[in-house]
Amino acid sequence: MHNNDIKKNISKVAVFLFSLIFILILYITYIQVVNSDELVNNPLNKRTAEYSNKIQRGSIIDRNGNKLAYSEKNDKGHFSRIYPLNEKFAHVVGYENAKLGNTGVEAVYNSYLSGTDNISSKFGAIQKLIKKNNGYDVILTLDSKLQQVAYDALGNRNGAIVVLNPKNGAILAMVSKPSFNPNLINESWADIQSNSSALLLNRATQGLYPPGSILKTMILDATLRENKVTLKDTFDCPGYLKVSNDYTLFESDKVAHGKVNLQEALTVSCNTTFATLALKLGSAKIEDTFKRFGFDKKLENEDFIESATVFPNFNELTDGDLCQVGIGQGSLLITPLRMALMTSVFANKGVIMKPHLLSEIRTFDGSIVKKYSNEKWLEVTSKENSEIISGFMESVIENGTGRNAKIPGLRVAGKTGTAENAQEGSHAWFIGFAPAEDPELVVVVIVENGGSGGKIAAPIAKNIIRSALK
Amino acid sequence: MNSLAKKEEVLIMIACLIFLVGISIVQLQNLGKVNFTVLLQEIGLIVSYFIVHKILRRYYPNGDPYLLPLSISLISIGLTMIYRLKPILFLQQLKWAFVGILVFAFSIYFFRKLNIFANYKYIIGLIGVLLLLSSIIFGTDIGGHRSWIIIGSFRFQPSEFAKVFIVIFLAAYLIEHKVVLGLHNDKLGPFAMPSFRFIAPLVAIWGLAMMMFLLQRDLGSALLFFYIAVLMTYIANNNLSYICIASLFFFIGSFVSYLFFDHVKVRIDIWRNPWADPNGQAYQIIQSLFAMGSGKILGTGITYGHPEFIPEVHTDFIFSAIAEELGLLGSIAIVLIYMLIIYRGFKISLMCKNEIDALIAAGISVSIALQIFTIIAGVTKFLPLTGITLPFLSYGGSSMITSFIMMGLLFALSEKRNNIA
Repeated sequence: MHNNDIKKNISKVAVFLFSLIFILILYITYIQVVNSDELVNNPLNKRTAEYSNKIQRGSIIDRNGNKLAYSEKNDKGHFSRIYPLNEKFAHVVGYENAKLGNTGVEAVYNSYLSGTDNISSKFGAIQKLIKKNNGYDVILTLDSKLQQVAYDALGNRNGAIVVLNPKNGAILAMVSKPSFNPNLINESWADIQSNSSALLLNRATQGLYPPGSILKTMILDATLRENKVTLKDTFDCPGYLKVSNDYTLFESDKVAHGKVNLQEALTVSCNTTFATLALKLGSAKIEDTFKRFGFDKKLENEDFIESATVFPNFNELTDGDLCQVGIGQGSLLITPLRMALMTSVFANKGVIMKPHLLSEIRTFDGSIVKKYSNEKWLEVTSKENSEIISGFMESVIENGTGRNAKIPGLRVAGKTGTAENAQEGSHAWFIGFAPAEDPELVVVVIVENGGSGGKIAAPIAKNIIRSALK
Repeated sequence: MNSLAKKEEVLIMIACLIFLVGISIVQLQNLGKVNFTVLLQEIGLIVSYFIVHKILRRYYPNGDPYLLPLSISLISIGLTMIYRLKPILFLQQLKWAFVGILVFAFSIYFFRKLNIFANYKYIIGLIGVLLLLSSIIFGTDIGGHRSWIIIGSFRFQPSEFAKVFIVIFLAAYLIEHKVVLGLHNDKLGPFAMPSFRFIAPLVAIWGLAMMMFLLQRDLGSALLFFYIAVLMTYIANNNLSYICIASLFFFIGSFVSYLFFDHVKVRIDIWRNPWADPNGQAYQIIQSLFAMGSGKILGTGITYGHPEFIPEVHTDFIFSAIAEELGLLGSIAIVLIYMLIIYRGFKISLMCKNEIDALIAAGISVSIALQIFTIIAGVTKFLPLTGITLPFLSYGGSSMITSFIMMGLLFALSEKRNNIA
């Protein structure tokens, strides 16, 4: 009887111990399967760096085959990442750094560049059969020569420049200043962090600015769409507009434009006319127009990190606020990239193409892994309206505020803006495209606290257009 | 040749194939060719396996045919990993495996006379306690564990050997006093309390375990010895309240040491939140988790991972290295091999005619199960990290020889059972 007791107890203890071990198996499975990705990607896990030292990271190359980033083996046998154009592509190309992580294109296309597509790492030892020694090369739509011209044209001022091809959405140049040298990111990290002017911010896609008068092109499109005003109608500009008892809108420099039609109003950038147009449209129509131009939509493109447009609260706008929106002021804040997309509506017959940086991804020996195909993003307005506005924008350059962007022998269309803001000094804006009869590039320039758009931003755009289309 | 011998032979061949293939993979990957000196060493060990197998089957044809092949499988994987991680230590570990297999044969010969040992249970118990005390008092710190005794150039971990002695002593003592122990003399609240004399060994081992915990900083060994004693006592007298009371005592002891002893607090705090100090105190356990996570399901493949980032990977953390390079499949395979050994142990125990024999076999199985549970739970951060080894896998002679003594014990008991039946 005692003997049986003992055997029963032995069985119970055995079951107990096997249950403990079974729980342990479940826990091991949790670590190696569920928790695995988190552990692999933990920045303290030295394996990632070790692995990247074995594989030559792919290059980042511009549309003409110039290298923007490449990896080279140093004397110690480690790969180091080299950015031959230093500060010039710092924001858009980004940097690759084991300690600080990756940014820009280096981050977005990291799995291609590093050759560690996540799928193959699940195959265990089998993946060694298809082992690669090189990551893929990423070819961008950027034009390094144009980028350098734009970078230099901005001089030592803070601001951003976006150049794109309106026909396919390819970004040709994207500059943000002040910049930093990605080759020295480790050494200068402390300085970068303590610098008050946000060196790491890509102002072209993340900088939020009041658009100022360049937004008048969009208000014009809304007006034409509503058919409330004809091209022949005129407006009287006494130099101010009394909107309500306690608010009067003044022209800048208090000039009176006299009797103007729509074309003349845009050419001289008449605030009272556009404030009047905004009041005629009403806040609901203006909100619809912003939506029509895609300002509230995400780009569905991983190439850039974007800041979302900051809208005024359209339900609570006073007439005064509405006038402010009509001339691109008030609480409205938009990025330079979005301004470039708005401009491309008038340059590309009413259609915005999806903006993109990626042209294609190639293996080390040149076979194509992935190719970007052009895609229409939004049909914003009619071909007729876009052509009317394009014509008006030509007259801005020919006889208006954009005279400084005039290039003999080339039809340039544009619009200037001088955006008041909370800091001191207005931001100088210029949007434009050329050649006007068949636009090949859209240029957007913003100079932070630069003053007059016509005086400061327009000559920079002129430089860029001339260099690109010469 | 009977069918048991045939079965054992085939299984040993498979286990040796793992060895040959494993070492060759590491060599081809790291050297680009097969090193013939090492190949000869491998073949030497394999030949000794087969000689021992043949001799055993000649004299003890009815022994359990799974114990030896399972042990050899673990040694094959362990030697492969040691060759991959610390090639310098490979030959030494191979020698230990060789000594181990001889010890296995000799211990079977000795333990066949096990009933004689039972008569000397107090001497055996005393040796066990002395071994433990010697490591507690004279222990030297090697690799963070103060459980080493160094005599000249010879060093060993007495606590490893103590396990066998303690198990045999407890089995003999408990069975002899079984009738009395069951008599529930006193009551303490809802718990039935036996008179002191019958739980004396339990109290003594509790005291020893607490000393190990505090002086040697070895929570793992303390836990191991204490629960071997608790579970064996439970098996012998079928009284769950012992387990409850004992666990209560153990946790009170642990909690008090947590409050009053800094090194205990540090260990527990590392376990509770290793990410607070990932590059300092918790470095080892964090590296272990990284290794395991990087292995995923299929593993990186042998030589393709980076288990060398874990300090002391070839002893305490060999399981993490296997988990990284052989993946979840590899780590679960290892646990399953241990479960098979433990299963055979309990099976042998249930077939024993003699109660002492049954309790010894059960005690050995309990010991192996608790041992692999504590160490694997430690390297996976399931429980606080402890410093005990994985039988047959970890580098080290004391562990290898003790593990083979335990296998010898089980084999002898299985043979005895068959003889009588």
